[in-house]
Amino acid sequence: MFRHNALRYAVLVVLLAAALFQAFTAEYFGLEILTEILILAILVLALDIVAGFGGMVSLCHGALMGVGAYAYALLSAKAGIAPPLAMAGAVALTGVTAWAIGAICSRSHGIYFIMATLAFGQMAYSYVFEALVFGGDDGLGGIARLDLGLFGIDLNDSRSFALFCLAALGAVYGAAVLILRSGLGRSLSGVMHNEQRMRALGLTVWRVKADVFGLSGMIAGLAGALAAQHIMYISPGLLSWTVSGEALVVVILGGLGTLVGPLVGAAAFVVLKHELSGLTSYWHLVVGVILIAVVMSRANGIFGWIEARWGDRIERRVADATRKPEPEEATSDA
Amino acid sequence: MAHDPGFWMLQALNALQLSMLLFLLSIGLTVIFGLMHFVNLAHGSLYALGAYFGASAAAVGGFWLGFFVAPVAVAGVGVLLYSGLIRRMRKSGPMAQVLVTFGLIFALLDLTRLFWGDLALAIQVPQILAGRTALLGIEYPTYRLFIIGLGLSIFAALAFVLSRTQIGAMIRAGVDNDAMAACLGINVERLFFIVFCVGCALAGLAGVVAAPLLSVTPDMGLQILIPTLIVIVIGGLGSLKGAVAGSLIFGFVQTFGAVLAPQLASVLIYALLAAVLVIKPVGLFPAKG
Repeated sequence: MFRHNALRYAVLVVLLAAALFQAFTAEYFGLEILTEILILAILVLALDIVAGFGGMVSLCHGALMGVGAYAYALLSAKAGIAPPLAMAGAVALTGVTAWAIGAICSRSHGIYFIMATLAFGQMAYSYVFEALVFGGDDGLGGIARLDLGLFGIDLNDSRSFALFCLAALGAVYGAAVLILRSGLGRSLSGVMHNEQRMRALGLTVWRVKADVFGLSGMIAGLAGALAAQHIMYISPGLLSWTVSGEALVVVILGGLGTLVGPLVGAAAFVVLKHELSGLTSYWHLVVGVILIAVVMSRANGIFGWIEARWGDRIERRVADATRKPEPEEATSDA
Repeated sequence: MAHDPGFWMLQALNALQLSMLLFLLSIGLTVIFGLMHFVNLAHGSLYALGAYFGASAAAVGGFWLGFFVAPVAVAGVGVLLYSGLIRRMRKSGPMAQVLVTFGLIFALLDLTRLFWGDLALAIQVPQILAGRTALLGIEYPTYRLFIIGLGLSIFAALAFVLSRTQIGAMIRAGVDNDAMAACLGINVERLFFIVFCVGCALAGLAGVVAAPLLSVTPDMGLQILIPTLIVIVIGGLGSLKGAVAGSLIFGFVQTFGAVLAPQLASVLIYALLAAVLVIKPVGLFPAKG
């Protein structure tokens, strides 16, 4: 089951503070990067739920995000449905799609699961790429952002939109913790550790997997709807398997199965990408080498490594003091 | 058009040519998986490397130099990869392997850009293979016939080695039960190494052979990777029969799908893969039951 410890709280507080600081001080370009991080963070949370807590390593989450983005674009721009409803529709539609994929793939394990999800992701990609309704390889433009004029918020302003995404990320994080702590989440971790035993206990294993995959898909769909509103233009490239691969890379670099780690990973990945692509056009090489090094070191990503090294010590110190963790102490270690 | 037997003949040959190219790639990947349980997503990058090595050598000494240099050079890269990375990743789970080789894709992609630049290269087809050949009432490019012939002869050679020679028997034993094979005195680790290098060489060969048909670009490895994975998953991991069946299925579904139902063609093959995975999760001809 997912638990918070002092280190996780501390990192969350630091991340939140950094995001808020960035949101209120940065210029346009900084805000765009912040929004990119926040949307990627939502996607990798969705992936961490299935991969880190259910052992379902999915290579179709990029495609699910794309499904959400296209559903939002079609519902709002083509069918003329009000943006809030379109967003809800996109999230629901992606959830249903993901549930079906999860149900079909639930029998496969290991590499076959990875391949099966890859197949479904690619199926969506090539369908969208060919279909004229979706604008084919030209993509779709003219996507409107949510209108929060009622509350006096104009989302077309990048600062408001970044804060809106931050709020969405906060809600998703809360939902993820709730899912993992619920009966469903506990069943899921049981299935990950010993599927046979859970089946013997009378659990319908495929339902658990499909349900969690569906919930994770809803989160990915939300990320997609936000991404469509952020760039206001979508293209089939969003569904490509390399997007799913990159999301998996972020989860691994951050720390699989920690929820907090992937958030750190998302921030590190986007910042690294922008910094490196400013310095050299060969940033893929650097990311590739870092990825190989992290996986070969057998550490569970950046955050996992920190947690394994200092998590216990911090926990003990907190227990000694019996009250009040010292965030400054923890963050200087982090 | 649709009632002309020549047209269908042409499409069948196209399908066969695509199948043979995919066979060259997938056989290495599938035997590496069957023997080592190792998922090498960077196999497509080795194919791209083969095309680049081939193009460079061909610029110096013509097509045939490239044709022979590419497999050897890519096998050399394979030796480096094996001793540097793969050997240490052997005991890791599939996810770690997928990730390391995903990182390798990134790294090799940029390394090829670094060495050869972003511009597409081309290889000239040699005089003897240029032009067209009359075959069963149609004219077909000689070079494509050459690819079909090459694929068929490699298949025959591999089938012979795997079923008739001692090393073939050792490989089959290793795929079937590597612990037992090791107990019987087979140096399974060395076998892995040999198979890995041969797989790399075949990927390099596929690269240089495909180069005159397509242009040589850094992302050609990424484009071929997904079809190759589909082939080995449909066919079943680890078996020669599976690789052949998967390649033929992919080649014919893709080619005839594009002719008969252009809108559905690209989705068709993924739907087929999903169907295979649902009905037979381990593929059509898995190496072990």
